[in-house]
Amino acid sequence: MSYTEATLQLLSPEGTLVESDATAPYLERIAALSDDQLRDFHRQMVVIRRFDIEAGNLQRQGQLALWIPSLGQEAAQVGSGYAARAQDHVFPAYREHVVGRIRGLDPMRIIELLRGLSHGGWDPAQTGNFHLYTLVIGSQSLHATGYAMGLTLDGGTNTGDLEKDAAVLAYFGDGATSQGDVSEAFVFSASYQAPIVYVLQNNHWAISVPVERQSRTPLYLRSQGFGIPSTQIDGNDVLAAYAVTAQYLDEARSGQGPRFVEALTYRMGAHTTSDDPTKYREHEDVQFWAQRDPITRFETFLRARGEGEAFFAEVATEAEDLAADLRARIFELGDPPSSKMFDHVYRDPHPLMDEQRAWLAAYESSFEEGTD
Amino acid sequence: MAQEFPLPDVGEGLTEAEIVSWKVKPGDTVSVNQVLVEIETAKSLVELPSPFAGTVTELLFDEGATVEVGAPIIRVDSAGGTIELQAPRDADTVGELADPAATAASESSGSVLVGYGSKGGHGATRRRRRPGAIAATAEGTTADGAKASARRPTTTGSPMPIIAKPPIRKLAKDLDVDLATVTGTGLGGEITRDDVVRAAEQASVFRNIETPAWPEEREERIPVKGVRKAIATAMVASAFTAPHVSVFTDVNATRTMEFVRRLKDSPQFAGIRVSPLLVMAKAVIWAVQRNPTVNSTWTDKEIVVHHYVNLGIAAATPRGLIVPNVKDAQKLSLRELAMALEQLTATAREGKSTPANMANGTITITNLGSFGMDTGTPILNPGEVGIVALGAIKQKPWVVDGEVRPAWVTTVSAAFDHRVVDGDVASRFTADLAAVLEEPALLLD
Amino acid sequence: MAETLTMAKAINEGLRTALAADDRVLLMGEDIGTLGGVFRVTEGLKAEFGENRVLDTPLAESGIVGTAIGLAMRGFRPVCEIQFDGFIFPGFDQITSQLAKLTFRHEGSMSFPVVIRVPYGGHIGAVEHHQESPEAYFAHTPGLRVVSPATAHDAYWMIQQAIASDDPVLFFEPKSRYWQKGEVDRAAQDVGMHASRVVREGTDATLVGHGAMVSVLLSAAEIAAEEGTSLEVVDLRSLSPIDYGPLLASVQKTGRLVVAQEAPGNASVGSEIAATIAERAFYSLQAPVLRVSGFDVPFPPAKLEAAYLPDADRVLEAVDRALAY
Repeated sequence: MSYTEATLQLLSPEGTLVESDATAPYLERIAALSDDQLRDFHRQMVVIRRFDIEAGNLQRQGQLALWIPSLGQEAAQVGSGYAARAQDHVFPAYREHVVGRIRGLDPMRIIELLRGLSHGGWDPAQTGNFHLYTLVIGSQSLHATGYAMGLTLDGGTNTGDLEKDAAVLAYFGDGATSQGDVSEAFVFSASYQAPIVYVLQNNHWAISVPVERQSRTPLYLRSQGFGIPSTQIDGNDVLAAYAVTAQYLDEARSGQGPRFVEALTYRMGAHTTSDDPTKYREHEDVQFWAQRDPITRFETFLRARGEGEAFFAEVATEAEDLAADLRARIFELGDPPSSKMFDHVYRDPHPLMDEQRAWLAAYESSFEEGTD
Repeated sequence: MAQEFPLPDVGEGLTEAEIVSWKVKPGDTVSVNQVLVEIETAKSLVELPSPFAGTVTELLFDEGATVEVGAPIIRVDSAGGTIELQAPRDADTVGELADPAATAASESSGSVLVGYGSKGGHGATRRRRRPGAIAATAEGTTADGAKASARRPTTTGSPMPIIAKPPIRKLAKDLDVDLATVTGTGLGGEITRDDVVRAAEQASVFRNIETPAWPEEREERIPVKGVRKAIATAMVASAFTAPHVSVFTDVNATRTMEFVRRLKDSPQFAGIRVSPLLVMAKAVIWAVQRNPTVNSTWTDKEIVVHHYVNLGIAAATPRGLIVPNVKDAQKLSLRELAMALEQLTATAREGKSTPANMANGTITITNLGSFGMDTGTPILNPGEVGIVALGAIKQKPWVVDGEVRPAWVTTVSAAFDHRVVDGDVASRFTADLAAVLEEPALLLD
Repeated sequence: MAETLTMAKAINEGLRTALAADDRVLLMGEDIGTLGGVFRVTEGLKAEFGENRVLDTPLAESGIVGTAIGLAMRGFRPVCEIQFDGFIFPGFDQITSQLAKLTFRHEGSMSFPVVIRVPYGGHIGAVEHHQESPEAYFAHTPGLRVVSPATAHDAYWMIQQAIASDDPVLFFEPKSRYWQKGEVDRAAQDVGMHASRVVREGTDATLVGHGAMVSVLLSAAEIAAEEGTSLEVVDLRSLSPIDYGPLLASVQKTGRLVVAQEAPGNASVGSEIAATIAERAFYSLQAPVLRVSGFDVPFPPAKLEAAYLPDADRVLEAVDRALAY
């Protein structure tokens, strides 16, 4: 579909490594990974998929206003998510639940967001620098770029120490590449040579609009026009996602400027639970990508390496447990007090907040009990 | 335990959905996440997974029914303990991979609906508020009014704050009421419409008069002399010589009040005192023109009908009642008459009216309204045959176009010497006065 | 210690002081570095503090504000310049959807001390988009603070206070006043940036405005004084939040209020003031609150500017109407 000659693939859909001159340097990075690290790739993909399904069910049961499935995009996210180092900052769009989990975010924070209890509210400093979701498409690309510029200005990057130098990982989708903010982000990061890697998950759909409507050229070429080197990868190949992103992040944190990765993948589910993909796409397209499932090929790969049934059973159990935990915990989520809306609008004291908070409190206590 | 599954809002603001097909029936055992039903919303076809595990007891709607979001659609009797795992389904419906691998027993289901359709805020009834609720939310939002007004410095230097709404301020201005002298009876000392109207009706003479203490002596003797003696003599002469007859009529004087207000606003009358008495004065002159005999003098031999009007105005002075008159009032324009009346009353109050001022009156007006009285039975000024009493002009109910409405109403009364004036003339004259008060434009005749 | 400075120089000095006091303060905007800004407000600062403190950015308002947000996340205190009022709109989304809401979204874990400096207002005979008064859009947006100095002294102090605030601040600089000289007392920071204040006392009616309008109101008061009418003038200084205290006290004294602004009147900051004063000073009002605003048309070509902008005559016309009640 959107594979081109440039598409880098380390792991074929059949689960075998692809050896070539182009893949060789990346396969070295993969070879340096431990068995546990590879197991973690699989674990995260499976667990988040199960979580995703359960959250979707909960939405259909009236427990969430909305669920945003990441079904089918697990490899692109897990691979790139693991590529970031502890000191890096990650700016997601709003579908990167597993990246959050990898960085240390409790997925319940995302559930709270979609249940209407908050607009995010987690502290990136407590969640491995995984920043809040941004629902205005593409806006986060500028915040990420500004952060990266800050790293350059205050010496947080490019000191020669890969363990300390930070870089920024920014996510957005194919639809976002049409937004002006994304182009402006490219302008700024190129101009200031900011240490940032943009990871575009081209899942081929912006709700119902196919990527062909967003661009007449492969999207990985776009950043090159701004002077930002890029690579297109098979986004359902967790090894490619990991290796290329890790390589680029290390280049960025070494003062070599911004980079761009286009991960070709597919949004197997709906845009959100409010969407009905049967209205705009063909079953055959979905089937094509189902045959390129990220988890299936990786499981094949692991089994070929000698991973036993016990591991896969353990992962399945862990996935079920997480789903059950989600179901149990969601009913424990209370409602926020109405006064919450006045907290944190400003950092410094503000007379209107005090006034209106007091007014609402007086208003609510002016009603007789038990009549709502 | 029996549980109900309310229809959720599956698409951000949906209000209803149609039951397309049930996938279970009463008696079936279901596990958590097992698909129960397919529904169609405005946006799409959606499968709903079960929030509970247990046995289906009742399907609450038939296929084809349209159900509102929030209405229970199915009843399930929940079992406890572990639930049977349901095998994963084939993912042939994109996006609806309701993988029903069941979880451990879940307790209560979605009793809380997120996404409540679009009905939020449109409840049918209003929540009941506690007594005094309005004060709780009103306090603090108004900076002035009763509380803050204590801080307000007034330009008059008076310590009393004036709390009055704009329409009331205007009314006071129209009625010539100084708000600074009015005590407000409204909330927090606010001056109400009634307060202003009441103040307008009261004569200034009767404000702020204190009640003196009972004197120590049993009686006080006042010698009868001077003005008092003269008044007494005149009254006796008049009352017991001329047979008095009085007629009364009520009139809607709203147009007179409006006319007076317009005169006040007019540059022609700037600085000149204008009041309903001026209109009555003009009315008397006009009515005399139409009913000449009321403006005459009885002698035993003849009735002298005067073809001029020396209009007397009864004036209460500290020394007693006097009746100075405006000579040849019929020759004066409205403005000249206003000035003459003002001059006359000012002179009288100062006690400077001369005998010449008081001689040769031909007809008199007594303004009982300035004392707040509705009407009265005045005694003729000796030598005159008619006297008009102008009562207080008050807001009273009046029937206008078949409806009872507030209007400015007054009683016009007139007393006559029945030797000269019979009932018909008396009535016509009085009716003419009333007609002018009701429609001052008649004066343009 | 007072000195006479133009407002542009006063802001320049304020920025210099802030840059020197805190390493994390950064200036960014188009042409602000080497050129010193099209109004020379940032003149000399790049030479003094270097290109890592004073950044000449690409021509992209959304990019300027969006990257400033990222810099704030990194711990910097960015001071952005939008070159002209009419060009703030490409950045409107980053300002209102992001900057205004990020503190709220983070529930207190992060602050966004971004200042956005905007030369605004008319009276300079410029072409389209260079004389706008867009304050209302931002005063209407919760999460932002909006201020506008009217004098060089206030400009010197308020820019520093804006930079010191941990909240996003829109700092509207009345460009027609850039070259007006005023006394700046560097020793006295007398009031906070959100305080309004009476700048001329009077008894018959109150005039209130902000930015360049304040000097128009003072002229109107001078003329009125010669005619025997005593007008009190209040400088609003802050549009969000508005400090109603001095204004209410003034209206309670005079009983009449005229609100003046260059901005178009429909749904403006002046409208908000009129509604609030009517509510809170109801019993003190002898006349309705009157507004004198720009007409509800796009800012016209410069030749029509004098007819469009409220001047002393337009203000006094409203005063006459207020006094007629």
